Amino acid sequence: MNAFLTVLRLLLFPGGLFLLVVGLFYQWFARKLLALLQNRIGPRWFQPFADTLKLLAKEEIVPDGVNPYLFIGLPVVALAGTLTAALYVPIAGLAPSYGFPGDLIVVLYLLSLLTLCTGLAGANTLDRFSLIGATRTLTQLFAYEAPFLLAMLGPAVMAGSWQIGAITEYARSHWLILTQPLGFIVAVVGLMGKLEMPPFDAPEAHTEIVAGALTEYSGRGLGLFNLGRAVELVVGLTLVSAVYLGGFASPLSFLAKSGAILFVLVGIQALLTRLRIDQTVGLWWRYGTLVVLAQWFVMIVVWR
Amino acid sequence: MEPNPVPASFNIPIGPQHPALKEPGHFQFTVDGEIVTRAYVRLGYAHRGIEKAAEERNWIQDLYLLERVCGICSHIHAFSYCLAVEQLANVQAPPRAQAIRVLVAELERIHSHFLWMGVSAHEAGFDTLFMYSWRDRERVMDMLESLTGNRVNYSANILGGVKFDVDAAQAASIRLGLDFLEDRAHHYLNVLSKDAMFLQRTRGIGVMTRAQAEVMGAVGPTARASNVPRDLRVIAPYAAYPQFPVHMVLDTRGDLQARFEVRIQELFESIRVIRLILDSMPESELSVSMPRRIPAGEAVVRLEAPRGEVLYFVKSNGTDKPARLKVRTPTICNLNSVVRLVIGHQLADVPMILAGIDPCFSCNDRMVQVSRVGQGDPQDMSWAELRNYGINYYRRLSK
Amino acid sequence: MEKIGTMFSDVSSSLFRRPATEFYPLERREAPPQLRGLLHLDLKSCTGCGLCAMDCPANAIRVTMLDRKAKRFVMDYHIDRCAFCGQCTRSCRQGALSMSSDEWELAQLDKAPFLVHFGDPRDVEQLLAATPPGGNEPAKHD
Repeated sequence: MNAFLTVLRLLLFPGGLFLLVVGLFYQWFARKLLALLQNRIGPRWFQPFADTLKLLAKEEIVPDGVNPYLFIGLPVVALAGTLTAALYVPIAGLAPSYGFPGDLIVVLYLLSLLTLCTGLAGANTLDRFSLIGATRTLTQLFAYEAPFLLAMLGPAVMAGSWQIGAITEYARSHWLILTQPLGFIVAVVGLMGKLEMPPFDAPEAHTEIVAGALTEYSGRGLGLFNLGRAVELVVGLTLVSAVYLGGFASPLSFLAKSGAILFVLVGIQALLTRLRIDQTVGLWWRYGTLVVLAQWFVMIVVWR
Repeated sequence: MEPNPVPASFNIPIGPQHPALKEPGHFQFTVDGEIVTRAYVRLGYAHRGIEKAAEERNWIQDLYLLERVCGICSHIHAFSYCLAVEQLANVQAPPRAQAIRVLVAELERIHSHFLWMGVSAHEAGFDTLFMYSWRDRERVMDMLESLTGNRVNYSANILGGVKFDVDAAQAASIRLGLDFLEDRAHHYLNVLSKDAMFLQRTRGIGVMTRAQAEVMGAVGPTARASNVPRDLRVIAPYAAYPQFPVHMVLDTRGDLQARFEVRIQELFESIRVIRLILDSMPESELSVSMPRRIPAGEAVVRLEAPRGEVLYFVKSNGTDKPARLKVRTPTICNLNSVVRLVIGHQLADVPMILAGIDPCFSCNDRMVQVSRVGQGDPQDMSWAELRNYGINYYRRLSK
Repeated sequence: MEKIGTMFSDVSSSLFRRPATEFYPLERREAPPQLRGLLHLDLKSCTGCGLCAMDCPANAIRVTMLDRKAKRFVMDYHIDRCAFCGQCTRSCRQGALSMSSDEWELAQLDKAPFLVHFGDPRDVEQLLAATPPGGNEPAKHD
């Protein structure tokens, strides 16, 4: 009975299907909000679902010159990585399904697994656009990873633990956005870099390199990558809002807080132009790192 | 432009199908990392044989054929054609007609610059500016629709004048629309010149000095942004421009930001000229009659389209069909500058530099016969030979 | 002085405004009276001179004279070839042609309704009987 319940929780709620549905719903929310900010109507609520179903039903064309196992396998690994990362974060306001000391690092790297798979998928093909997209994806990964990691580790130091469950418990009584505002800013902007949202969407700048690393993907592979992105959106939002916005008391609070951060992300997306990849790296390595190090300095001085 | 690019290190093909291009054209950029080292352009994807087709239609039908050379500058093409044919027939269109032609031309310039602003913002990844500037462009298209009867391809001209009049009610609604557009244009000038992130994409990118612009033969706002004082409405005024003069907008910086600002300032100039025309529109009839057979002769007219100088050569042999019609549009003058300027820039700047000249590929696809010096006669093919050549070419490709 | 987020005023006010999108076909805006829509012929004024057909850039009009003295003619109008330029309304010396300003939704599921015959119904029948089936000439110029 226990095993059956575990499987149900993994596949349906709060893992698996629930994650996919919530991820696509959040994608719809982002697109709709962006449209309203741009004074137009956006897609209807079922658009991301319809897109995913259509992609899964279409033919997958494997181009010449690729390693077919990598080509077919990478989307699956990417989606699996993000779904696994969701096991350790408090999805839907419930306590994380599993946890162990140090799972913060594991979650962050599982989320990066999606980016790595995208980069590898782009490097796997002979297409010019994919190669440039892959290079940019990996460059951007190196750029935002360090500041984002430091911004997430600041609260861990304050909470005295590297386990997400413990951090969220601590955050429930101490709203870290108030005590570590700079870290919050870096975390939010870093999340945009991780999700490759504009203005950090140089890796998939479609007016320059068509679709970046995923140019050659179609059908099922593209559908799985998109699902991986959707789940990454949920997991990333959950992580940042759980750590900085005071944990989740209930599913409603989960929706409200992660929705609020998504609102901020989309607002920034509407206001800013896409940055070139060298400007992105420059911004992160100059300002991002400095800001988060300043936050750490303040935290250490104040704490001690 | 070399005929065959050497398959060097890393060639990025942009076009004929690419999200950066709104119309088909083929570019090949050789990149080293992200820096462009060589560029090559190939056109011809939008060639429709308009110049040849014009020889088989009578003068009145050609007016509408030439209007459809381009969708954004359609009125300028019809306007140039009318001026050329009227010159051949030694007929002057009445003053009110010329004023209305200039009015529609300036409204078209406003529409074209708003369109261009949105497209360039989209190339930069600034989708919000794209959406807002195209929303405001709808206002000028509605004005044109209620004035002329259609949103594009206005069909305002006829040989010898214009088709419709501007009455007081329409003048009032045009003024209202202009107030709205001027307000928005001020806002966009503020955005384009102050937004720090957008400036990072446009300041210092694609710098073209005045000497370079003059050597490469750049025209239009692209040249004026490099301080080349070339605006046909000022240096060679035609139609009603002597009565309603335009001030030239120049900028000394020569980079992308200068091109943006020149076009917005031109918007203000166009709005001012339209208001002037509405205030003091000359009274006269709307058209004069033109003969069906235009006397033999040749005429060359040059007009200032939103993108630059457009040149029309019309030759008549006294019949009711033209003998030869040649259209030279501004984009083909400016494309050379793109090919030279992108070298040394990053790949991400390439769509911006291309958008900076406001390319219109369907305007510029004309057939040019090139004879290679020292290699004898140019290759002439009859229609049957050309058809066979095409069939064999594709048969070989599909093997 | 450089700012970040210069479009903030637009973006924030859009949250409280109606989208600029037109909700066609649920809401249909009135077209201006000058709109060049579907062509109409006033048979009483038409003399069958054929100037409109000669000047049409799209070869969309064909005037077939059945009997010049009795003024029996039929004008064929191809809606799908028409460019809605309005030259025919200018070429006509009798002012018999006019363009509607509210008939501009002209899509059809079939090609047949695109060919309209203007004329006395008996003349139209006579013309259709004389034309071989499916024998409409393509839009070529001589």
